[in-house]
This record gives sequence, C-alpha cells and structure tokens, in this order.
Amino acid sequence: MRSRIVCAVAVVAATLTLALAPPTAWTQPKKLVFWTHWEQNPEFNKFYETRGKDFAQKSGYEVQVVTVPYQGYEAKYLAALVGKSGAPDIFMGMTHHWCGQYDFCDRMPADLAKTWDDSLPKYMVSVGKWKGVRYGTPIEHGNFQQMYINTETFKKAGLDPDKPPKTLDDWLAAMKKLTVLDAKGEPTQVGFALRHKGHPVGIADKFLPFAHAYGARMLSPNLERATGFANSPEMVAALQFYADLVQKHKVASLVFPTPEDAFGQKRAATIFRESWYFGWVKKNAPEVSFKVYALPCAKACPGAGNLFPWTNMVYKNSASKPAAWDFIRFISNAKDDLDQHQAQGILPVWTANLDSPYVKARPDYQSTQEMLKQPVPPEYYHPKSNELATAFGEAVVAALYGKGQPKPLLDEAAAKMDRALKD
Amino acid sequence: MHDVWRLVAPRSYLDRQRRAGLLFVLPALVYFALVFLAPLVESVIGSFYRTVPGGESRFVGLRLYEKVLTDSTFWQAVGNTVSLLLMSVPATVVLALMVALGLHRLRSIRARSVWTAMYFLPFAVSLVAAALIWQWMYDPLYGFLNHLLGRGGVPPLHWLQSLEMVRPSLAIVNVWVRLGFDTIIFLAALQAIPAEYYEAASIDGASRWQALRRLTLPLLNPQIVMVTILELIFNFKVFDTVYATTQGGPAGASQTVIMLLYDTAFKYFRLGDASVMAVFVFVSLLLVTLAQWRLFRRQVEY
Repeated sequence: MRSRIVCAVAVVAATLTLALAPPTAWTQPKKLVFWTHWEQNPEFNKFYETRGKDFAQKSGYEVQVVTVPYQGYEAKYLAALVGKSGAPDIFMGMTHHWCGQYDFCDRMPADLAKTWDDSLPKYMVSVGKWKGVRYGTPIEHGNFQQMYINTETFKKAGLDPDKPPKTLDDWLAAMKKLTVLDAKGEPTQVGFALRHKGHPVGIADKFLPFAHAYGARMLSPNLERATGFANSPEMVAALQFYADLVQKHKVASLVFPTPEDAFGQKRAATIFRESWYFGWVKKNAPEVSFKVYALPCAKACPGAGNLFPWTNMVYKNSASKPAAWDFIRFISNAKDDLDQHQAQGILPVWTANLDSPYVKARPDYQSTQEMLKQPVPPEYYHPKSNELATAFGEAVVAALYGKGQPKPLLDEAAAKMDRALKD
Repeated sequence: MHDVWRLVAPRSYLDRQRRAGLLFVLPALVYFALVFLAPLVESVIGSFYRTVPGGESRFVGLRLYEKVLTDSTFWQAVGNTVSLLLMSVPATVVLALMVALGLHRLRSIRARSVWTAMYFLPFAVSLVAAALIWQWMYDPLYGFLNHLLGRGGVPPLHWLQSLEMVRPSLAIVNVWVRLGFDTIIFLAALQAIPAEYYEAASIDGASRWQALRRLTLPLLNPQIVMVTILELIFNFKVFDTVYATTQGGPAGASQTVIMLLYDTAFKYFRLGDASVMAVFVFVSLLLVTLAQWRLFRRQVEY
C-alpha cells in the first residue's frame, strides 16, 4: 500500500516538474516576442516575422509577432509589463507614455541611436526620445492627417478634383456643394466625415488640425499649462467652426459610422487621415477613386503634427535585451524600412527613402512634401497626453453634439487639464 | 486559541465533526480569499497611495478620495450608471417573471424546454458578441431596427448616436442578455410551489390574479430579492456591452463608473484614483444589497 502511495506521489511530482519547467529547458528555438496593436497593418507586422527568420539563421532567435487589439491595448501592455511574466521583449507604443510615465524601456545602444538620429527626417528626430534619450525607433512617417478626396463625387458636384480647396473657407464652400440631403433633410452623402464616436482621445486628435489652422494650441509650449491655450479665443473659434460643420452647415453627420467606412462607402466626399489610410482604401475600397492633398489652411497651416508618435521599444526587464536590440539593428537600414512600409502601403520613415520611386509614385507624395514644408505644429508628447486629450476631446464631442457652447466647454476642459498637469 | 488547537488535535467526536466541516469549506475559503479578498484589500490599500506602475508609490491619505468624489466626471458616470440600472433592473425582473409564468403554464415539457432554451441562449453568448450583434441592429443606416421602422413609415432612430436614446438602447441589450438567466431562476421556483396551494386557493374562490398576488409572488419573494440583487450588481458593474458599442459616448452619455475606472487605471495610468472608484463601487453595492436584503427579505415556508 505504502509503495503504491510513493509511486503515485513520484508520478505526480514528475508531471508537475515537467509542466512547470521553463520552456528554455526544452529544445525549442529561442524566441523574441514582439507586441504591436497596429491591427490595421497586418503586412507591416508580418514583416517582423519574415525578417525574424533571416535573423534566426544568424542569432538563433526567431521573432514572434503578437497583434493585440487596439481597443484596450494599454491595459494588456500594462498588465504584462508590470507583471514581467508574459511580457514582450519588444513592444510598440508611445515613448512618452511607457518610458516617461513609466520606466519600462531599455535605453537604445548609442551606436544604434546615432544611426536613427542620422537617418530620420528632421521633424521626426524627437519621436522615440524621452528627455533627450532615444528609446524607440519611429515606425510611421506621414503620421499626420492629409485630405483624401473622392474624385468622382467632386466631379459630380461640379468641383475640380485637381484643384482642391486651399483655405478652410473654400473648403467649407466645397463641403456644402458635396453634401446631398434626402427629401426628409437627412444626409445621404456628406462633404466631410468626422470622428464623433469612440474614445475622446481620438476625437481630440482629429480636431487638432483645425485648431492648429486657427493658430491655436492645446497646451503651452512647455506643456505645463492648458488655461489660456486650450480655451484661447483661437481655440474657441476653431471649435465653433468644427461644431458648425455638424450643427449649422450640416456638411458632416453624427449618424454616419466611422469616417473611414463612410469614405470607403462613398458616403463622404472627404476625410482627413494619415498616410496608412492610402493602403487601407486600396485594400478595402478599391472602387473608390481618390486623391490626396495637403490640409486646408486658415490663419496658419496645420503642418505635419500628430498626437500618436508610434515607436518600437525594448522592454527593460526582458531576458533577451541584447538579442532584441540586435534584431532592431538587423532591420535598421534603408532597404528594410522601404520593404516593410511598401508591403503595407505606408510611407517609409528613413530620409533615404523619401524620394524613392515607391514614395514618388504614391498619391500623397506631393501633399506630404507640401505639408512637410509648413511650420511644424505644436507637439504634445506629455506622459499624461491621454488624460489631457480625453478632457479636451470631451469638450470637442460635447460641442459636436450640441451639449454646450464651445467657450464654457473649453473653459471646463482647460481647468480639468490643468488639474491633471498639476497633480 | 484553545478552540483552534482542538481543531488541529480533536479530542471528541464533535471536534472531529467540526474539523471535517472546516476542511470541506477550506478550499472555497482559500479560493475566495485569494481571488476576491486579496484584490479587494489591495484596492483599499491602493486607494491611499498615488501609484505609478513601474515607479514609486506615495502615501497620500484621503487626498484621492477627496479628488475623485469632487470630480464632476465621476458623478456624471455614477448618474449614467444609476440611470442605466433604473431602466434595466425593473424591466429585466418583471419581464423574466412574466416569461417564467408563461412558461410554467405550458403543459408540454418539450415546448417548455425549447422556449426556455431560446430565452436562455442570449445569456450564454459572450457580452461583447451580444454588444456587437446589437450594434449592428442599432446601426442608423444599415440596422435591422431602423429597417423595420422604415417599413412602418417611422423615421429612423439614432439609437446609439443620440444623447437621449443611448442609455435606453443599452438597457435593452442588458435586458436581452439577462432575461434568460432570471427566467430560469423564477421557473425553478415556480415549479417548486406545491400544486395543492393553488387547489386550496381555487376552492376558496381565489381568482387567478388573487392567486398570483397572494400566493405566487409571496412564495417567490426569496427569488425576487436574489434576482434583483444580482441584477443590481450586474448593471452597476456593466462594462463589456458599453465598451464594445459606444465606449462611453456619445459625449460621455453612456460612460459608466466601471468604464471610467478602466480608463483611469489603464489609459491615464492613475491606479490610486481607480482604486478609490473600485472601493466606491464595492461599498455602494454592499450598502444597497444589505438594505434590500433587510427590507424585502421574508421567510417563506412551502
């Protein structure tokens, strides 16, 4: 009886040992785990695995890409990075969040940092840095909104798609011509598809080009104050203009789904989106004929600015940090930059590629050049940018829905943002 | 101490019985302590600290309570939650009771099983999937509901896009999801009521309505109280359906406390503030549940 018990205990112990043994104890290939939430860019993400196979021949490390759904990605990243177990070796995100608000990032080796500093367009050199130190590799050039127009609807409305509106006044006049209402006054086609759904951060992001065109900015230049900026007379005027698109002029609708879908379904004649949208339209709405232009200007031109400077970073607690940096070094060259972005239809990042045949053949080549020549708009790379943009975006969406007037809404938002900044 | 020692080294039959009882409930107690109690305690402690994950924590006393409880966004979220709850809970309980009474009257067991399964099916669906199904139904342009309204000559409604309609629309989703579960509870309770009671009531000349009011409802009291408490808890904690459909919009009109808690913790990285909200939810639910339990619970004997 006793020997049976001993045997049973031995079997259980052996099973547990096998089950709990770390994977490295097995003869599995070594692996670098890469997390991304760019779910709209599968070909771009696949590139890491493809090149990972070449890297494996040299280093023995393969690359496994995990695509985390964008909605709620912060929670998943945070849980893994705090918990350490199950965390990625390389992850995509914003440097000012993960390296600024937190301390999750490994400092980039000096030689690699120099390579990147030397290879980026000037306006992008600050992307991937926190307090002057480079942690991340920027992955998206053209991460600023441009104007996509449906050429067919322009022609139908008697507008010349080769002569896009250059000022906001001209643009509004065009939007009125492009909007089609049914007998009940409901729009069947709008001039402009704007973001009104989803998280206020995204809503703020889509409104900012209008704010910048009015010469407004969301925060002070040192990013320490919102009052006097987020509720400045210029910002109030910009928000009034934006809300009027829905409430007064009815050239934009709150009924239509996401702006991307509305444009893809030919229910919207224009949309403001980044360079990745070119690839998206080609794939998801190939029947839509479109052109891309620089955003219209008012007091100022919106310029090449963004709220989400995406980068790839290495997790500082990763057991494979050197290998992770080696892999990033392995793909840090002009050819890989071009191949990876071209596979997805996105603009490459490296300066060396900005005049490549692929980029020159893109419909957004001229508009990108034009917007890059404009003064760089304000940047808001603050560790609390999500919280600040949420407070600001809440005011924007409230104005869109007619919940209040722009001035009091922005006053409230600015006060809230200041509280967050001081806290 | 003496009693504890007697559990470890029992001297009498009664001691052994007590120890056996304790050992039986021990796994459940350990599970509860690890999965529920430990996070709760951690949340309470966390509500007194300004915590930056991966960084340092600082004791701030009641400052975060003061900050959260004076924040208008927080109270707007509480208001939204309560409003959603007031629409969902009574409707779910009353409808479930009606459905259960209807099913109970079905003579054919097969028909009753089929109908019960149909009502229960939405409960088995993942909340996110349910939300996505309804999001499609509510779509202002391509949605099934507006299509139906259009056939009847009714202008389309902006279900999830309207400040006024969004919460009732979400309440309908919650009712749809929960109805089956509550129906099963009521149906089981109805089947446990002895038929003799109704025969006696009938002999005494009670009408169907009187039998329902004087007999069925009082005998269902424990289930009604339990189901109402469960619905209160579910609706107070509602997250998935709102997050998948509106993300709190439009213009914050459907932002619930749990959604705000989630954003505060994982979008703004303010774990201390989020812990205060978690404590608020816990205490609120505890108080409401205790009050409900005390006010409405009556002993029932079949």
